[in-house]
Amino acid sequence: MKALVTGGSAGLGQAFVARLLADGCDVVSLDRSTADGAANLFQINCDLGDREALDRTVPAIVTAGPYDLVIFNAGVNATGRFEDIPEDVQLRLLRINTEAPMVLAAALAGSGAMVRPSKMVFVSSLSHFTGYPGAAVYAASKDAIAIYARSIRRPLLRLGISVSCVFPGPLRTDHARRHAPENADASQRMPADDAARDILSAVRAGKATVILGKQARIVALAGRIAPRLVTWQMRRFIFEKLSATTW
Amino acid sequence: MRRKILITGATSGIGLALATRLAPRHEILATGRALKKDAEKILPANAGYIRVPQSDPLVASATIREGLRDVGWTGFHNAILVAGTGYVCEAQSEDPVRLRETLDVNLAATILIARACLPLLEKTNGRLTLIGSTAARGSSHIASYCASKAGLAGFARSLRSEWRGRVSVQILHPGPVATPMHEKAGYVPGRLGALFLSPSTMAAMLEFAVARGRSPRTLSWFRYIGGESIFGRRL
Repeated sequence: MKALVTGGSAGLGQAFVARLLADGCDVVSLDRSTADGAANLFQINCDLGDREALDRTVPAIVTAGPYDLVIFNAGVNATGRFEDIPEDVQLRLLRINTEAPMVLAAALAGSGAMVRPSKMVFVSSLSHFTGYPGAAVYAASKDAIAIYARSIRRPLLRLGISVSCVFPGPLRTDHARRHAPENADASQRMPADDAARDILSAVRAGKATVILGKQARIVALAGRIAPRLVTWQMRRFIFEKLSATTW
Repeated sequence: MRRKILITGATSGIGLALATRLAPRHEILATGRALKKDAEKILPANAGYIRVPQSDPLVASATIREGLRDVGWTGFHNAILVAGTGYVCEAQSEDPVRLRETLDVNLAATILIARACLPLLEKTNGRLTLIGSTAARGSSHIASYCASKAGLAGFARSLRSEWRGRVSVQILHPGPVATPMHEKAGYVPGRLGALFLSPSTMAAMLEFAVARGRSPRTLSWFRYIGGESIFGRRL
């Protein structure tokens, strides 16, 4: 079995790579930086925020397949007041979080780089259900990818590709720590390794929507029933406590 | 009150209908992709125009900033960001050029233009209106379009909370409207087309929804049947 993981050098991506290697898969990791090597790990370097670099790298990604599993995990955040975050940072965030996975998904599904049957996984965010004051463009990028995943699920199923979308809440990663308000309680966050394990088992079971843990499911439900109230709570607990602009 | 209103994508479809409807009562600054001489032929005579193609988001926001300075607006009341594009295709055969264009025009450029408008909207406690779509829930042959509009919805929800008390932010989701966009996108509505609202009807519904300020708001055929294109407070 062969898997492709974007952003496999750190955080949740690294946890996916470690789990998949432990399960005996061949893993292709696509990331800006190279991580520690392993026998069945093949690393491709590419900055997903750079269009030309991505277009140059697509043939190598296709050739390294075909894949039984693709996880579009790479993502960045930019937190602070919307107007304090520079334009080029916002643009780059949209390219990495939304555009790159869409371009790659179309390229892989259209080129025969996917085994049939196979799985394709998009990583959105729990913010899809709650809103995210303090990261308005991140929220935009994650809503966009969630709806893209939902839109292509049926047509890709006809090609033997089953599409899932994951909505992780706060994880215990460096990425989450950097963007959370100071003094936020990290013990409440789910360890990346547990998240990777739960996501992989849900995806193998063919679930279209994956929300991790009871707490996140309650938050997602609350966000659907009382969207305004939940976004207001997000404002109080995140936006009003952010002391700096971070990207 | 005579308002200063910026409308993007005002050279065709919903944007043009809105500019035409509002121009007699308000001061309109329209933007679009068309050349100035072509735009002036179709826009109401008293509307201003700046050419702002949105395929390069950074250029688009810079051009808007410049244009607002050139017309001498030190503050304005409403930004209604209508400009959008889309293509019909199978997800697995989508051309990356078109995919990127859809995201740039609909999502990235709109976000950067919203940012460029903030200082001038804030002076009047004005209102930012984003135009989504009922397709923001997802649809298989226009996946990128849906993604871009869903992105706007997520952006509006979060920004509305961030800017509370400064600038009111809303997103309106029109249902199907008989505009040139469908033909440009390669979509043939067939018999269903009979149910599409006219751009001027949608412009009326939009005006009332902008005046009310609620968000999010779906402007569907059912709302039309309910009289939302006739009964409402004008801007």
